[in-house]
Amino acid sequence: MERAKSGGNILLVDDDEAITANLAPFLERAGFAVAVAADGEAALERIASAQPDLIVLDVLMPRLDGRETLRRLRHAGNRTPVILLTQVGSPVERAIALDEGADDYLKKPFEPYELVARIRAVLRRSQGDAPSLAGAARLRCGKLELDRQARRVTLDGQEVPLTAKAISVLEYLMLHPDEALSRERLLDAVWGWDYPAATRAVDSRMAELRRLLHDDAANPQFIETLVGYGYRFIGRVGVAL
Amino acid sequence: MKKLLLPVLPLALGLTLALIWRLERWPDPILYLRADLATWLLLLGLALSLGAALSVGAWALAGRRWAQVLARARQDEAEEHRRFIRRLDHELKNPLTAIRIALANAVAGKDDPIIGSVRSQVDRIARVSADLRKLADLEAQALEVEPVDLAELLTELVEMVRRRPEPAAQRLQLALPRAPWPLPPIAGDRDLLFLALHNLLDNACKFARPEDTIEVRAIEDSAAVLIDVADTGPGVPEEDLPHLGEELYRGSAPRSVEGSGLGLALVRAIVARHGGAMAIRSRQGRGTVVTLRLPVTR
Repeated sequence: MERAKSGGNILLVDDDEAITANLAPFLERAGFAVAVAADGEAALERIASAQPDLIVLDVLMPRLDGRETLRRLRHAGNRTPVILLTQVGSPVERAIALDEGADDYLKKPFEPYELVARIRAVLRRSQGDAPSLAGAARLRCGKLELDRQARRVTLDGQEVPLTAKAISVLEYLMLHPDEALSRERLLDAVWGWDYPAATRAVDSRMAELRRLLHDDAANPQFIETLVGYGYRFIGRVGVAL
Repeated sequence: MKKLLLPVLPLALGLTLALIWRLERWPDPILYLRADLATWLLLLGLALSLGAALSVGAWALAGRRWAQVLARARQDEAEEHRRFIRRLDHELKNPLTAIRIALANAVAGKDDPIIGSVRSQVDRIARVSADLRKLADLEAQALEVEPVDLAELLTELVEMVRRRPEPAAQRLQLALPRAPWPLPPIAGDRDLLFLALHNLLDNACKFARPEDTIEVRAIEDSAAVLIDVADTGPGVPEEDLPHLGEELYRGSAPRSVEGSGLGLALVRAIVARHGGAMAIRSRQGRGTVVTLRLPVTR
């Protein structure tokens, strides 16, 4: 029926009708086929009968919240890409969201265009047969390896003495390869705050990363600067064993 | 209760003994206590001293107890305030998201100035709510502490601010000590400290007239580093001074000057999280100096 739309099938899960009633038509206009579920239980039932290409999942819901829904989904071996809609700000809580296997998350109140961009990016990433980066314990790009559990980075087998913050920045970059990431988004994702002028903090950590990874800003192997906007990880990222 | 019983104990003991004496009809001679005047005076002085010492001790104890109660009450109040801000922010999130999506649906390709204006007002509400929330979180969340070289931080900051368009910003002066030794590193969250100092300089530049002077100075003072951000700008009216640093307080500053009313509140919160303090002196028409005191060891 709605399969005719080529953008992909999205399952939108949120208990607030003000959100779903507005967001579903918006996503449809953006070219997706959209189904709506009002809570986690309804979502799991629906997924059992019709597998979507991507799930947009609100965290705070009655009955079965987004986090628990995601946990059950992953526990059952379902790897459908999930974008979490979070309410809270602390970096710790966001890290937990990613650890539990979300492919990305967006903080309310978000711009709907931003959600569409994230959906497309996650779909693009998941379309290859490569295993999802979000659930991987170790990421690799050429000679560069990031152990997400041990918080350790090696280059050519040698440990790179990065600060904890720089490792988090690198992790976020490697989890979103080939995506244009604005300074504001990086700040929000890694620092947990995005005050004006704080974007300077991002540049300063990027300089640290480049210096220690021996990445030439003019001819980068890993991190490309998008002038006046932000950064992009240009290397090919895979899961390391 | 035990503390109250202790002073009454000797009285109770005396009373009991007297009663027993009377009931048992033990020999009950009359005792005369006789002493010369000098001894009486000495005894009187001694008794008065003892009484005074006791009441001073009791007073100090009560004062300390009272201070504890006050501190506790203030803490509770701050915690309640943070909870309220979180709930408010939380309640605003879904409606704001829904309005944003509805606006995007309403435009759908057309470029409508009314919708553009509504959108920017929605952004404004979202920003105030998010900033209040971040401020509340900042007071509770853990800092990422590392040794921070304040001289290097201030140099980077000043170079950045000098590139601003205001003439006063371009002439910004930085004074750092070199003798007898440079500033010691402090334990802190570099990004947050950068943000706090940037906010102070941003304020100074925003209000400065072209002929004004802005200076940043840092000195070491026993176990702390003092940082002054001083300007010869328009200054702050006296009645506004006690309220600076309160959330959303904008004073009588002209509405034309952009600002959220959260900049100084943020500075105050960041400095407090580092165990430091912020002090502001200002004279209207003369200028303002904000002094941050950041302890070296924590």
